[in-house]
Amino acid sequence: MGIRFNEVSYGYSSFAQGLYTAIKDINLEITEKNEFIALVGHTGSGKSTLAKHMNALIFPTSGTLEIFGHTITNKRNKKIKYNDIRKKVGLVFQFPEYQLFEETVEKDIMFGPMNFKITKEEAKKLAKQSLNLVGLDDSYLSRNPYNLSGGEKKRVSIAGILAMDPDILVLDEPTSGLDPAGKRILMDLFKNINETTGKTIVIITHDMDLVYQYFNRVLVMNDGHLVFDGKTEVLFQKEDLTDYHLDYPNTIKVLKYLNQELNLNMNVFQKTNAEALAEIKRAVRL
Amino acid sequence: MKSIIIGQYIPGKGLFYRLDPRTKIIAVLLIMISVFLLETIEQLLIGLATAIVLLLIGKISILKVIKGLKPIMILLIFTFIFQIILNREGETIVSQQMYFTGYTLLLLILAFIVWRILNKLVKYRFTLFFLFAAGVFLILSYVDFGPKIAEPFTFNIYRAGLEMSFFVVVRLLIIITLSTVLTLTTKPTDLTQGLEKLMHPMKKIGFDSESFALIISISLRYIPTIFDEANKIMLAQASRGADFSEGKLKDKLRQVISLLVPMFIIAFMRSEELANAMESRNFVPGEKRTRINELYFSHRDIIATIFSFLILALAIVLKVM
Amino acid sequence: MSYIEIKNLTFSYNEKTNVLEDVNLEINKGEWIAVLGHNGSGKSTLAKTLVGLLEPQKGEISIDGLVMNDEFAYEIRKKIGIVFQNPDNQFVGVTVRDDIAFGMENLCVPREEMLEKISFYAEKVNMLNFLDSEPANLSGGQKQRVAIAGILAMQSDIIIFDEATSMLDPFSREELIKYIKTLHQDGLTIIMITHDINEALLADRILVMNKGKVYAFEDTEEIMKKKSIFTDSHLELPVSLDLANALTDNQEYKEIREKLWEYALMK
Repeated sequence: MGIRFNEVSYGYSSFAQGLYTAIKDINLEITEKNEFIALVGHTGSGKSTLAKHMNALIFPTSGTLEIFGHTITNKRNKKIKYNDIRKKVGLVFQFPEYQLFEETVEKDIMFGPMNFKITKEEAKKLAKQSLNLVGLDDSYLSRNPYNLSGGEKKRVSIAGILAMDPDILVLDEPTSGLDPAGKRILMDLFKNINETTGKTIVIITHDMDLVYQYFNRVLVMNDGHLVFDGKTEVLFQKEDLTDYHLDYPNTIKVLKYLNQELNLNMNVFQKTNAEALAEIKRAVRL
Repeated sequence: MKSIIIGQYIPGKGLFYRLDPRTKIIAVLLIMISVFLLETIEQLLIGLATAIVLLLIGKISILKVIKGLKPIMILLIFTFIFQIILNREGETIVSQQMYFTGYTLLLLILAFIVWRILNKLVKYRFTLFFLFAAGVFLILSYVDFGPKIAEPFTFNIYRAGLEMSFFVVVRLLIIITLSTVLTLTTKPTDLTQGLEKLMHPMKKIGFDSESFALIISISLRYIPTIFDEANKIMLAQASRGADFSEGKLKDKLRQVISLLVPMFIIAFMRSEELANAMESRNFVPGEKRTRINELYFSHRDIIATIFSFLILALAIVLKVM
Repeated sequence: MSYIEIKNLTFSYNEKTNVLEDVNLEINKGEWIAVLGHNGSGKSTLAKTLVGLLEPQKGEISIDGLVMNDEFAYEIRKKIGIVFQNPDNQFVGVTVRDDIAFGMENLCVPREEMLEKISFYAEKVNMLNFLDSEPANLSGGQKQRVAIAGILAMQSDIIIFDEATSMLDPFSREELIKYIKTLHQDGLTIIMITHDINEALLADRILVMNKGKVYAFEDTEEIMKKKSIFTDSHLELPVSLDLANALTDNQEYKEIREKLWEYALMK
């Protein structure tokens, strides 16, 4: 089960560019348990379009898409309850302002679950649980979402999706605009949700340091094609990432520079500063 | 969504594109007044012919204008029908006895269902609508058997009614064609600037035409952005189960609110940031500014203006005579 | 007297907490200053008071000898321009040409002169081929460059970048930074508010804001040696310098430390 893309392409016609193909011939499988996946690529590479397919917000122009047993084609199928898919695959947009609208955090988080015909009491319980899951305490329930800080708004918007208890959670650039500390706290949180609940999480990001440190699987989009799907380590061991319009993580870049300048032979593939430091010390002692 | 066409402007190079927007606005106004002065159908038909000739001169595809007419087609049809039914002057040209019986009712419902089903299947919806209307007319006229529901009545069409409805429709057609020419060939920004300059004298009565034009041009600039944003908000809420094509009416109200609130709040934040950006670039409302876009009157504009005044003069002469 | 002087600046939106508290700064002409700080540290508020968009409760700002008040705000804004975070919310014109012109129109620059300057400054930010383009067809990075051209055309010589790269992807960021470097070479004073420590390294001096106060304001090289300043302010040092600082003063690491610094300060 989970999500499977079969030769999926998506195109639209626009006034500026004529017929524009956002993604081309995508084949991809995402299982519904325990995956932690980074989705990367330059602006306009098609990563957001790919994400919007994952909960059937948009339909492929060609190819088929299987999401938890439902087959999605280019036409709206009256037999499919698309809301069932949205419940299974939760998509969090980049800006929390796109979805917050109620006067209290509690009501706002309840909006999602309430759309799936459950009682108010159950929804309240879910709201509380998911709010705690994103690291905010119960005192936030009665607050106005618009009076929160940027990072807090982001968490509430994520809680709003988590409350629907999706099996797969897709997040569009959740760390953008946050300071370095905020980024790490949020990433730790996602990792924690992934490990404790077993939910598959897909995260769109531009930050290669985060990709290297947190993810085991990475999808690379480039000009509408899925050009890489595999282990993070394998991606960054490639000689040249300019074809993918990607950069290397900072630890790799710094160690490569040292190797080159000082004729050292360090293993540059170190994920954290601590590991890099150990490697430098090891190399110098030799 | 990379770009949407704002207004109906289609880039091109014909005569009308080269005219100053002020000329075009004045000309359209003058000709509209002239059209209202005309009194006979013959004169109006000449007017319509003139409008078509203008389209040809300007190398504007008549097809595009007809496409532009589509949204107001319903309005035209209703005007036509109302005029025919309500106007009761002159001799009767059609007089038809109408009946309303149980069978009539049944047949009407049947016709309605057939129409709605066919409407989903075939392309020519207007033709279909006319067929449906004709069907209703026939049913009312000839189904005189069965249990009576209402007293029979007579449906009359009078000469004046027919003439008047035709007259009104042609007049509307000319006016709409003219304004379509204006919006097809003039950039929205040029249009607002033209309006601004023409309304400039109103400053004396306290109307600040420059601010007005700036407001319009900023609104135009943000239409695609807001459109794009509304789309994203809709998708974000759909991700939370607010799918507009599913769900009950009661739920729909909340779903609409879930769209409107973020749209308004984002719009407020946006306008605040925009105001900051404008102020930091030394914009002071109401102060004197120079303009990068200037309008130029050429000999072409003079000829066009004289031409439209001549049409008005002609219309006045016809009216007086 | 310094080009920009801020004395005892205090600002608050409500009476409870001060967003800026007793800020004192002196910035010289032609300097490149990076402003770092956690979310809510008062960085953006500082920027807004500098261009007179917010009026401080206490303190004084003077730029090139002019004291910011109702009388001089207009004059000061001629000297200082600001590029905001969201590229879409500062693009006033319907086309690139109109947007570059907007500030000049407000200054009543004659049309002929405007046209000349638009071509000149559009060329400078490599947007000359896009003068008739509408914002909907431009990338975020392109819109930010148009904003720069608009400020340059007003003959400002101080530009504040208020997280101007934060909504851009890494490549547009890098590109924008290249343009900022040339502006600095041309002698403009740059004040760059950022979350990106690698961007901050390009500056001559770094200002670290923490809870509305100036926590540190030192030469880039000096400040980078003091890890505690960054950890105290919820910030992170760039990888290379974090490594350099962790390698103790031991002689055997000397060469590596030097190379790490070299890497960090490559401009």
